[in-house]
Amino acid sequence: MSESPGIEGLLRRIRREIRRRRAEYYGLRGAFWGALAGVVILLAKHAVGGAAPWTAAALVILGAAAGIAYGAARGVRRGDVARVADRAFGLDDRVATTLEWADRPDRTRLVDTLIADTVERVESLALKRVVKRVVPREGRILPLPVLACLVLAVTPPIPMPSGRLPDFLSSTEEEREERASSSMLEETTRPLAKDPLKRPSFEERDFAQRAGGSGATTTGDLSAIFKDTSLASQRPDFNSFMKKGDERLRMLEQVDRIPDLQSDFTNSQFKMVYRKSKALTGGLRPDQISPQKLRELLEEMERLGRKGGGNWSGDAMEGMEALEGGQSDRALEAMQKALDKMRAMDEAQRSGKGLRGGRENERGGRGKDRARGDGMGPEDQDFGEGEGLMPGRGRSGSPKGEATQRLRANPFDVGVEGESRRGRKDGYDTNLTGRGGSMASRLQYLGVIGQYRKAMEDAITREQVPRDFHDQIRNYFQSLDER
Amino acid sequence: MNQDSRVQAFVAAFEAVRAEVEKVIVGHHEVITHVVTGLFAGGHVLLEGVPGLGKTLLIKTLSEGLELSFSRIQFTPDLMPADIIGTNIIVEDADGRKHFQFQHGPIFAHILLADEINRATPKTQSALLEGMQEGAVTVGGASRPLPAPFFVLATQNPIEMEGTYPLPEAQLDRFLFKLRVRYPAIEELNAIIDRTTQSRTATVSRVLSGPAVLSFRELIREVPIASHVRDFASAIVMATHPQWEQAPDIARRFVRYGASPRGAQALVLGAKVRALAEGRYNVSTEDIKALAAPALRHRVILNFEGEAEGVDTDTLVARVVADTEAAVARGREPFLR
Repeated sequence: MSESPGIEGLLRRIRREIRRRRAEYYGLRGAFWGALAGVVILLAKHAVGGAAPWTAAALVILGAAAGIAYGAARGVRRGDVARVADRAFGLDDRVATTLEWADRPDRTRLVDTLIADTVERVESLALKRVVKRVVPREGRILPLPVLACLVLAVTPPIPMPSGRLPDFLSSTEEEREERASSSMLEETTRPLAKDPLKRPSFEERDFAQRAGGSGATTTGDLSAIFKDTSLASQRPDFNSFMKKGDERLRMLEQVDRIPDLQSDFTNSQFKMVYRKSKALTGGLRPDQISPQKLRELLEEMERLGRKGGGNWSGDAMEGMEALEGGQSDRALEAMQKALDKMRAMDEAQRSGKGLRGGRENERGGRGKDRARGDGMGPEDQDFGEGEGLMPGRGRSGSPKGEATQRLRANPFDVGVEGESRRGRKDGYDTNLTGRGGSMASRLQYLGVIGQYRKAMEDAITREQVPRDFHDQIRNYFQSLDER
Repeated sequence: MNQDSRVQAFVAAFEAVRAEVEKVIVGHHEVITHVVTGLFAGGHVLLEGVPGLGKTLLIKTLSEGLELSFSRIQFTPDLMPADIIGTNIIVEDADGRKHFQFQHGPIFAHILLADEINRATPKTQSALLEGMQEGAVTVGGASRPLPAPFFVLATQNPIEMEGTYPLPEAQLDRFLFKLRVRYPAIEELNAIIDRTTQSRTATVSRVLSGPAVLSFRELIREVPIASHVRDFASAIVMATHPQWEQAPDIARRFVRYGASPRGAQALVLGAKVRALAEGRYNVSTEDIKALAAPALRHRVILNFEGEAEGVDTDTLVARVVADTEAAVARGREPFLR
């Protein structure tokens, strides 16, 4: 079969065509990537120097040449070429079948007829170009990097920012040195210079150059960055910048004033310390606990005690001392004591603070005023027989006497029975259970909620509540209002 | 006779048979071509169409054009396998001794017309299985060969469901092609009226003998097929299987079971007949594409979703072929497409 010159000639011709198309295809791709590399080189023209345009051109040519060489060098199988021929000339797979069956040992007599038929048909073909040109995606956008190369080649190099701030210190030193030298010169033979010497490093970054939008820029000139912006016409005020910078730096020094945006503000400090202690000691014997972590925790507790006015600082200190003496079990005991005290204080705060009403605050305020003189608050006062805050008794300024300070003065657990019905309502009828169960009450729900909402608004503006939590808090009160 | 002459003889015979049938049957050119293709490929053909489209007439005309024995079985619900195959009956010889003698059933013919095959019970339908596949039937423990060539042409009505028994998949798979006889166009209808309502009747000549058919069947099997064409046929058959990793979406969505290997055999054999009938000595991808629908439409079993959405198996096969061709082209370099 391979002796048939007609079929071989056809295959050779198509193979050559395929290689040519492939070379074009890969040449375009290579040229594209070469042009891209050229663009990069031309962008860095100020660093590369005058050779940049030539290097870019060489890269384009090199890329195209490499692509052409690759496309032309790739092999083409005879079977593939035969199929292309069959499709292109409408030979109904005759050439491919002929090539495949010609040398097979199990070829039938019909194959000989097929070969003769194929040769006859191929020899009568009017040859034409059959392999279509395929333009790669890179080829379609090749003009862009080439154009960019040309533009970059003819335009001046793009100045790159040096990234250095003006060296004020060195300039003042230079100035000082220059003054010194000038004074020295003055003392010696040379006459005094009329104009003071200019500071070259500062002058390069002067506002005058920014203002000129069309003015030429020099290498390393920071003003080029602001050239087309509103800042171009502004005079730099480095002193105010430094001053503000100083203030901000001072703020950073006061770590306690910086809000911890990562922390969970819904948790009390006690809870956080308690969790840390549980995580540290959970399931471990005293000798297995890391002394370093235990020390850190005790230090934190001691710090909290000092800041928050708690009485567990001493226990924490004891624990630290015991830890230094290598007595882990004593340190743990001390930590537990401190934790108990923290818990007690936390509970006391929660039971009292949240339920204190307006009148109680007034009384508290008066009490504080009084206590300032007496050295004690109203809760701490000891009343004699027949005295106290009850109406008509003791030192009460009001003719009816002070209102009973039920919850604050005598805290005990109170439960509320029942379930609230859905929908808007102006109050809750509560059935109290427990020791306070005898004191049936009706809470003016909407009134209380209104007061609390006002207090909430004050609190989130006054206190350092992270901005992200504001809406969350407001939503909570909104949801209470809707019930 | 050299191969070229044999091929020319085949082409002439193919055209002659088709021409004889077309003397009686108006239109349905493709159906007639596929029926004759099935005859030469050595397979059986199932014709599906509504009543009155000339299915039975087509088969009867074909049998008249061939020098072959012909029998017709009208399938009914009370038809028994013995009515098809035959049975042993007791006969008395001249000496007065009684013995069993096999009474041949209508299956013992070259061309068997199984009219309205889906009206018989599955038991009776299955009586044809062995004969269609093996070319022999077994009665009373004795295998009896059927005359060669043995060619079953069955008809069925797709719209009448009452009192019918849909052919089981095993039975369907034994048909080389399933052809759909569609309603004629208005010009064809006019020709039918002219041809059938006048006193002049067409005479069909016998143009082909049984041995000639067998000889051409051997020639057809010699037709070479290129590996890429064979791969294309295999890919089409595989693409009808939803479990195949490269199956197109339509097959994954609507097909329960794909075509069996018999489908691939039918595809390639039919393609070989088509190639030779066109005077070509090799199979081309066009042959495979042309024969895909008749060879595969009855071998693809739709799933519930396919049935519910009324998916047409012809459309499905056409999509599968197109998707397979696209997938093959995608696998080639742009210059080689």
